[in-house]
Amino acid sequence: MWQRRAFLKAAGAGFVASLLPRRAEALERAELLFASSIQKTAGGYAAALVSEAGTLIASVDLPERGHDLTFSPVTGQAVVFARQPGTFAVVFDPAGAVAPQTITSIEGRHFFGHGAFSPDGRLLYATENDFENARGVIGIYDVAGGFRRIGEFDTFGTGPHEMLLMPDGETFVIANGGIETHPDYGRAELNLETMDPSVAFIDRRTGDLIGQLRLAAGLHKLSIRHMAFDRQGRVWFGCQFRGDPGDRPQLVGYATREGEIRLIELPEGTLGDLRNYVGSVAASSDGAVIGVSSPEGNTILALDASTGGVIEALSMRNGCGIAGDAAGLLASSGDGELGGFAGSAAERLSVPVLFDNHLRRVP
Amino acid sequence: MRVWLALLIGLLATPAFAQLHPTARTVITQAVEDVIRPGFAGFATETERLAAAQAELCAGPSADALAVVRGQFGAVVQAWSGIEVYRFGPLMTDNRTERILFWPDRKGIALRQVQAILATEDETATDPATLYGKSVAVQGLGALEFVLFGTGAETLGTAEGDFRCSYGSAIAALLSSTAAEMSSEWADPAGISARLIRPDESDLDYRDNAEVLQELVGVMAHGLEMIRDQRILPFLGRGGAEPKPKSALFWRSNQTMPSILANFAALRALLVNSDIWEYAPTEQFWIGEQAMAEFDSVAIYGSGVTGTVEEAMADPAQVDQVANIVISSQVIGKLVGEDLPAALGLSVGFSSLDGD
Repeated sequence: MWQRRAFLKAAGAGFVASLLPRRAEALERAELLFASSIQKTAGGYAAALVSEAGTLIASVDLPERGHDLTFSPVTGQAVVFARQPGTFAVVFDPAGAVAPQTITSIEGRHFFGHGAFSPDGRLLYATENDFENARGVIGIYDVAGGFRRIGEFDTFGTGPHEMLLMPDGETFVIANGGIETHPDYGRAELNLETMDPSVAFIDRRTGDLIGQLRLAAGLHKLSIRHMAFDRQGRVWFGCQFRGDPGDRPQLVGYATREGEIRLIELPEGTLGDLRNYVGSVAASSDGAVIGVSSPEGNTILALDASTGGVIEALSMRNGCGIAGDAAGLLASSGDGELGGFAGSAAERLSVPVLFDNHLRRVP
Repeated sequence: MRVWLALLIGLLATPAFAQLHPTARTVITQAVEDVIRPGFAGFATETERLAAAQAELCAGPSADALAVVRGQFGAVVQAWSGIEVYRFGPLMTDNRTERILFWPDRKGIALRQVQAILATEDETATDPATLYGKSVAVQGLGALEFVLFGTGAETLGTAEGDFRCSYGSAIAALLSSTAAEMSSEWADPAGISARLIRPDESDLDYRDNAEVLQELVGVMAHGLEMIRDQRILPFLGRGGAEPKPKSALFWRSNQTMPSILANFAALRALLVNSDIWEYAPTEQFWIGEQAMAEFDSVAIYGSGVTGTVEEAMADPAQVDQVANIVISSQVIGKLVGEDLPAALGLSVGFSSLDGD
């Protein structure tokens, strides 16, 4: 696999040393920092740290396009996962003190772009594709053992995408998008007729299925992909519709560990602006506001988590990344824009990088 | 004042000035009227001929009649390869894309289901109306290819192939009627053409010219990805893996490379005949020019791939030519998928490329 070899080389030389002083300064000033996969304007891919004021603090080169990031709650280590069907993840230290490390997926698996740490920071989990069997799995990695893969759990579905650890620290919630892909055919979607998306709740320690929720049968082409928790602990999710493009089904809803799942009713015009495609879902820091983005529709919505009402609709071309900041939500775009909404004081500005789909606040 | 006027007249009189930058409306109109609409009309014509040839074969089975049908199958594949990249509008309703071509089919579902129909002589597969209600995998080009070229196809030249021939006729008739429907939808001046040529704020998908241009550029970007990921790499093998000739689309009819080259030719035609590349600022014309040159290279590499996929994949020189096509597809993909949209002020390049 030439891709893997090429990658290992790239990651070893990945830090942009000239940015180090700025990183130290930013950390000292205790500015809010955000992380995202990016495409560099000169070409090539990286994971980048950026301040809310738009200063590029540091970046770690990636061999191919990255997707989401997650952070160790104990050490603060960051992990960026390859976009599907990528086979790498890179662990790096946002403070730049430790050299980055590469994880490669095992034979027969690739990453889906999302993952999470255990609350004690000892294990890293990632959504992966067992592509020969069209089966979603959670890969389990031992952090102290150099991120050695020590096992896997079933996601009880095909094409898992985002996974989150619930506030209880014991339960995973997985968005099984339902779409079968196989690296032999790139990103081609192989089972649109028989898609079976679901939200699965899984015991973090045993891998047992606690519960699995599906939308109404007529909505089986609604791929559930991205999620965030509100302050009640409900799981908000956003969907991408793979049915007739002339249809406009509702795309946003929430589920609970107690077994409730429902789509909220967005007004027709607002729904139309989402173009059957939600690219990310994130909550404000207090969990009172849920952000939902559509890079296809150049629209990002802020929803009141208690009523489902639209608080604000932000127009941002290619806008997709969302993260909670001090007072509201910060959005990022594939054109390099950064801007606050829903209470955030962050100014709208341009950064000379192209942000990928997900933005995360660095803890 | 007079000097200014003279200058202005001079500018307007320069033919290059008017030609260099078509309006968005012109680009879109040319794409619809000169490229897409004729493509769908051609598919309708070729499938109609196929249905007629197939009916003739069934009425009077002979080796010659079979040869005619097989030849016409190639013409249909060529026509299809020119339009399958337009995955919006008419192709996207009623599962037409999958009905016409169920692919990729990693688990060989189509082969199993088609063989079951042939083995049980399922009469409901010989009537287009009831065939339509069956699995999409048994009613399109893949199924017809097995009927015409798969194991047992030689019986079509004799009375022994009666059932097989009727099933083939039903598939051809269904293809022909779907093709005719799509062609008339594209021809309808108030239909999809109008939505593209005169986008409107109230339209669900096309609110302005930029969104239509984005759709057209997306056709090229996604088309190149499709050719590479679904049509070439599955049989060439990824990352130095062994070639798998039988994972190629249309290997039985020896239409693998011709269909791939027709895909490329279709994308080139969209780029060139719509003049979309000239909608960019003059200093960005290199994008279209380089893409055209690269498309020409693809045709040259393709001409070096002869014989069946199996033969080609056993010949290192031909494997190289196919690998060169992959590289060209990546180069063109960057040109039309990243550079051109940037030059046109569109945003196809990054996170709007969907799927995550």
